[in-house]
Amino acid sequence: MWADTLLIVGISVFTALLGEGVTWLLVYKTEKYQRLKAEIDRQSKKLEKFKETCSDTLDKGLKKKIDREEEKLKNNNRDLSLVKMKSMLAIGFAFTALLGMFNSIFDGRVVAKLPFTPISWVQGLSHRNLSGEDYTDCSFIFLYILCTMSIRQNIQKLLGFAPSRAANKQSGGLFGQQPPSLK
Amino acid sequence: MQTKKDKPALPSVWNRIFSKNSEWPDKDEFLDVIYWARQILAIVLGLIWGVFSLQGFIGLALFALANAGILYIYFTSFQSVDEEEYGGVWELTKEGFMTSFAGFLVTWTIIYSGLHH
Repeated sequence: MWADTLLIVGISVFTALLGEGVTWLLVYKTEKYQRLKAEIDRQSKKLEKFKETCSDTLDKGLKKKIDREEEKLKNNNRDLSLVKMKSMLAIGFAFTALLGMFNSIFDGRVVAKLPFTPISWVQGLSHRNLSGEDYTDCSFIFLYILCTMSIRQNIQKLLGFAPSRAANKQSGGLFGQQPPSLK
Repeated sequence: MQTKKDKPALPSVWNRIFSKNSEWPDKDEFLDVIYWARQILAIVLGLIWGVFSLQGFIGLALFALANAGILYIYFTSFQSVDEEEYGGVWELTKEGFMTSFAGFLVTWTIIYSGLHH
């Protein structure tokens, strides 16, 4: 089982790097993205500070200012997600094809033995295309998703591509946060 | 780990990680330390759980307890940071938790499958 599991980790590292590489080419290195990201980080920090210092004052002028800043931030966040969209689509298509290929290679194969029995709504994934009733059998897709969840996020953070905490906090995780791609 | 705006007198991040009650003027820097500590801890716990063939819900629960508990002791007793500055204990506890949980599951599963099947 070593060969299969390590191969899946390798595939996951490869796809995460490929995904980040393509995103770098299409998005991260563009001037527009860098400008927007810097702007959002700056505005988020400013807003956070504003909110901290003015939380107990009832100054209407300040509240209006905060509202204006929030509106600006929202617009910038929308622009940023539009910039990202292009590459997300490209990566989505490419990875769906890649995943299809890997899925057919590992079809019906038990790639690992889980040390626990997954809860029922995860079993559809962990036991996908596997025969038998032993739910500790692990399918390719389940291990791949787990690998991607941890590897992609860490690679993004290492390379400094993860959205900043301040931006995440201000946008409520709606725009700033990138869910780990499962495709 | 990003080092930003360090005062010249401040020791390096590595020194501060291992020394008691260090100063963390940059909140993000300390959150990064917590994040990466959690990831490393998850891999180490996954290796131990796998080698000793821990199984079932008890393995998952023990991981959650150990991961949250060890880091909690680190930031409250060892570094003695004011949790409220970071938005409470919960904010510090959830920093990187899901990513570390996925990393733990992968390591645990791989070692367990490889050694015991």
